[in-house]
Amino acid sequence: MASSLRLYLACIKNTLEAAMCLQNFPCQEVERHNKPEVELKTSPELLLNPVLICRNEAEKCLIETSINSLRISLKVKQADELENILTKKFLRFLSMRAEAFQVLRRKPVQGYDISFLITNYHCEEMQKQKLIDFIVQFMEDIEKEISELKISVNTRGRLVATEFLKQFM
Amino acid sequence: MAVVDAHRFAESITCHAWSPDHSMVALCPNNNEVHIYKSSQDQWERLHVLEKHDQIVSGIDWSSKSNKIVTVSHDRNSYVWNLEGGEWVPTLVILRLNRAALCVQWSPKENKFAVGSGAKTVCICYYEQENNWWVSKLIRKRHESSVTNVAWHPNNILLATTSTDGKCRVFSTFIKGVDTKDPKAGSPAESKFGEQILQLDLSYSWAFGVKWSPSGNTLAYVGHSSMIYFVDDVGPSPLAQSVAFRDLPLRDVLFISEKMVIGVGYDSNPMVFAADDTGIWSFIRYIGEKKAASSGSSYSSQFSEAFGKFYGQSKSATANDASESSKSRGGVHDNCINSIVPLNKAGSLKVMRFSTSGLDGKIAIWNLENMEEELGQQF
Repeated sequence: MASSLRLYLACIKNTLEAAMCLQNFPCQEVERHNKPEVELKTSPELLLNPVLICRNEAEKCLIETSINSLRISLKVKQADELENILTKKFLRFLSMRAEAFQVLRRKPVQGYDISFLITNYHCEEMQKQKLIDFIVQFMEDIEKEISELKISVNTRGRLVATEFLKQFM
Repeated sequence: MAVVDAHRFAESITCHAWSPDHSMVALCPNNNEVHIYKSSQDQWERLHVLEKHDQIVSGIDWSSKSNKIVTVSHDRNSYVWNLEGGEWVPTLVILRLNRAALCVQWSPKENKFAVGSGAKTVCICYYEQENNWWVSKLIRKRHESSVTNVAWHPNNILLATTSTDGKCRVFSTFIKGVDTKDPKAGSPAESKFGEQILQLDLSYSWAFGVKWSPSGNTLAYVGHSSMIYFVDDVGPSPLAQSVAFRDLPLRDVLFISEKMVIGVGYDSNPMVFAADDTGIWSFIRYIGEKKAASSGSSYSSQFSEAFGKFYGQSKSATANDASESSKSRGGVHDNCINSIVPLNKAGSLKVMRFSTSGLDGKIAIWNLENMEEELGQQF
């Protein structure tokens, strides 16, 4: 793993550790409701300052915190068009199965590729450390996954091209 | 060892309260019920389940003299439970709230209780004999956000509140016909109901957990910015101190004596704060013991981390292990502690035992008696 990636992930991990101090908090605006404040943004005093962590222009991570929820949005590196398509398809595939991941948001925040939404209920059910590890592991893996996909697409392309051109020999 | 007993009652606990003789505990297992457990020969036996609320119960308080339980819930209601012939019978409280109730506390004389709410108000409730219900008077002014915690001054009149607008306020709650004018109590008792005595604007972030010291001279509350605030001379010219610490924010505080405070919170390990002879407060230590063999394990984890640098792939797994070992810390709780309740004998000012409950569903009872040496002269 490149050292800059390690620093980037360590920074995100530490920020998440501090940000994931959530509690059950009922809605102030609507009777008998209890909704993630970071999504509704009805009371500005219940939101904390968002933190943006950038590795470079193409890769960044936005962490928005509120009193009972936390939103993590990731932008994954897309060096060329192929990576762009692969990332889009792959993350769409994951987002459509958001229930299985529990903390995954169905739609990414605008400007980002994928978003997680962690509420106080997740913190009650799961261990905080494991949740953070999951996010960091996810970020680590996504890059690997995309580059593997890219290689396999390229390999397959080459194979197909070779097979196709054989008939002209 | 400071922990006397720790028992896991549920998946998570939002709040708990003890019976006057400390043999029973009422707790909310993170749903709309209140369970009452009795301890018998190292076993906890569930005696009663109080079902009346229809949303999560956010506050419980058990009065020590009159043996009444008051519960508040996110469903905007509150009930006072009275033990009649072996059954807990609820009495409705007319809160007149249109948002969730968040916290509750009996006043020292137990003729009133205060409810903090998400409607940015505080309800002071008192019993009306003729209708057989509890009515409330509202403090509507001042709060700009939800009231997260309330604390009664020992004089039964002053009430401190914390709010998510970051402020801590002190109000007078003198109710005619309920409170009698006490010639000794001095000026605060003379102000009328709902009057704000003091507003403290120390925190930049949400304020939680407020408590008065046993004598009522000092006020302590915590902010979400990993700060704890101490205020002396509550009145026209208060003396405030802010203490920052390096760990995760606190949720609740408890005065052990005039000079010592225990704070609990997201770090899942109670912290001790104490004032020195000049009255300067500072962080002393964690109360839960750190792992004795930490030197060995930290060495090995450092080593494996360095090792991982050479073998990039295996890094993630070892990092996970390292973080787990640093997390478990040998502490009793393994998730956020959200409440701390004193377990002192009636009449004694010093709290030698207290209990904590948290999102991990455990209630731990701590005893400070054999920790006096470690905590030193602050007692």
